Amino acid sequence: MKQARAGLLVAMALLAVPAVSTAKPKEPAAPAAGATDTSAAATDPKAGAADPKKGGAAQPVEIDADAPPPGEEPPAVATGDETPPDDGGGALEDICKLDPDACPKVNMAEAAKRPLKAQMYAVQQIYALRARRFEIQPFWALTLNDQFVSHPAPGIALNYYMTNVLAIGANFNWYQGLNSDSEFNAQTRRAVHVGVPLNEYQWSAAGNFTYVPMYGKFAGFGDFIFHWDAYVVGGIGALSSRPIVVFDPRYRNFSYKPKIAFNAGIGVRIFFNRWFAAIFEVRDYIYNEKLENIEDVDVHDEAWRQNESNWLGESKITNHVQAQAGISIFLPFTWEYRLPK
Amino acid sequence: MMRRWVVSGLLALGGLLAFESTAVAQEIQLTGPLAGAPAVRGLRWHRNKRFEVAPMVSFTLLNEFKHTILAGAKLNYNLTDWLAVGAWGAFGVAHINTGLTDEVEKVNKDRWKSWDSATADAETVNKTLVDRNATVLSIGKDFPSQTGTIQWVFAPQVTAVPFRGKLAIFQKVFVDTELYFFGGPAFVGLKERADFDPGKEQDRAKLVSTTCTAPVDNQMCVQQPKYETATRVAIAPTFGFGLSFFTGKWTGIGLEYRAMPFAWNNSGFDSRGGPPDDRGPDYKVDEKDRAWRFNQMISVSFNMFFPTAIKSSP
Repeated sequence: MKQARAGLLVAMALLAVPAVSTAKPKEPAAPAAGATDTSAAATDPKAGAADPKKGGAAQPVEIDADAPPPGEEPPAVATGDETPPDDGGGALEDICKLDPDACPKVNMAEAAKRPLKAQMYAVQQIYALRARRFEIQPFWALTLNDQFVSHPAPGIALNYYMTNVLAIGANFNWYQGLNSDSEFNAQTRRAVHVGVPLNEYQWSAAGNFTYVPMYGKFAGFGDFIFHWDAYVVGGIGALSSRPIVVFDPRYRNFSYKPKIAFNAGIGVRIFFNRWFAAIFEVRDYIYNEKLENIEDVDVHDEAWRQNESNWLGESKITNHVQAQAGISIFLPFTWEYRLPK
Repeated sequence: MMRRWVVSGLLALGGLLAFESTAVAQEIQLTGPLAGAPAVRGLRWHRNKRFEVAPMVSFTLLNEFKHTILAGAKLNYNLTDWLAVGAWGAFGVAHINTGLTDEVEKVNKDRWKSWDSATADAETVNKTLVDRNATVLSIGKDFPSQTGTIQWVFAPQVTAVPFRGKLAIFQKVFVDTELYFFGGPAFVGLKERADFDPGKEQDRAKLVSTTCTAPVDNQMCVQQPKYETATRVAIAPTFGFGLSFFTGKWTGIGLEYRAMPFAWNNSGFDSRGGPPDDRGPDYKVDEKDRAWRFNQMISVSFNMFFPTAIKSSP
């Protein structure tokens, strides 16, 4: 018991130490706030009147989303002899004065010599770059479209992002021991003497391509910002399954057999930091399922019933849709942007 | 004793330190030119003080016997940009049989078709009669018509919008996007099989028996009745979440997931109420045969906001 208390003390100390060691001395808030007000007022003509921190009433303003910002003329046609505007570097100096640690330490002359790819991206310096990083996704899957047998499964996926939007990878699900035959099946069989062929799964594995066409950020409760992306995934692999014996349990006993399975899905990834995210995905596995023979066994003799070739009936293209929730870990944890912001 | 108090005090202090140090670290991040600034400036208030009218089509999920397509609308008044009060109402405009319903009906028709007295085998007919007698209470003529359906839904609800942001598609198209959650009570108009108790005279009269024809002409054969349906209103909680994609200043597209858990007898079977523990049949159809279902659906909507002029945050 005493050791437990000591352990708790050590744990508390460990919790406290990293945060303290990374925190810097708290600076007076007033000058910083004043600086914010000044810069906000200088850059945004509405801000001075609108920011409640400055004592002004927070009056909403009507805007035309398609109109240019106030005070800005529509862009003129370039003639080729304009001189570039001089930003003076005042904002950068302000940042360096206020927070030397945040002052960019880039040799602009050297940086300018680096080869440039003449392409502008809509989102510069994406919060979490994926290019040339590995992604490990442990997840838990739940069945979405089988009301007769649920197939929950733990799974894992591994992806390598060749570019920022395209990855190649593989995933694996383990179902055996977790399939659950719904009580509803027994009730239906008892009430109307109608059986439905049922199947259970053992595992599935697939190679996949992932494409990330959507990237965005959300403000949570108007207070904090988090980044997320949405992806589509598709591939080919195998799914091992077998029928659950419903129609002739006296003789039939099926073993698992893998079938070729195509898959396609969509997912959302919410980043907690630059290498750790939560994922939510819906994946459809499409394969050709072998169903139990539903022929009335009472009209056949014992030899027919014992013959394994009579146990399976029709084949049916089956969609197994599952929802997946899990985490995503990107490796390596850090990277350098190609260009300064 | 003293030592225990000291250790407990140190633990509490350690806990406080851990929380405090986290808060201080957060404050440090907010120093600099952006200290005190809101997370988002000039946020377009798509909702604040606006009415929302959203025609909506909903599709039920994971149904055992009938899929329902509901057409309706969502009306909201947005008190703020993150809180709205309103209601969703919809009518079930299409009820589509599942594969199981079609299979049961196929077996049902085969089971109750008359046999050819000249050629029928007595053993096969006797087996059919066993099936008929065992299932006659659960399944009548035209099985799909006795399965339960959602006729309409009315749900007053509160909507909270904690997450607002934007989405870049192919790094070219930008869409203001929000994630919202909603909840409230739902009043659900249901049509399901009416109560049926062979112990009551009027119900027993519907189970007519006549003398069988050859090859089993020494027996009584029950005739298959067509069971009636009844309507009722179920009151259930409803909740879910959705995404809105704002395509313009006053228009948007919505995608929503909703659940309405309540108990109903969507098959019309006699499944419960008897031994053991009410989990077996009790030879009558009543409210004990209702089972809890999660009753999920997804909806797509076209959202319109009024007045059409949009405002922005400071």
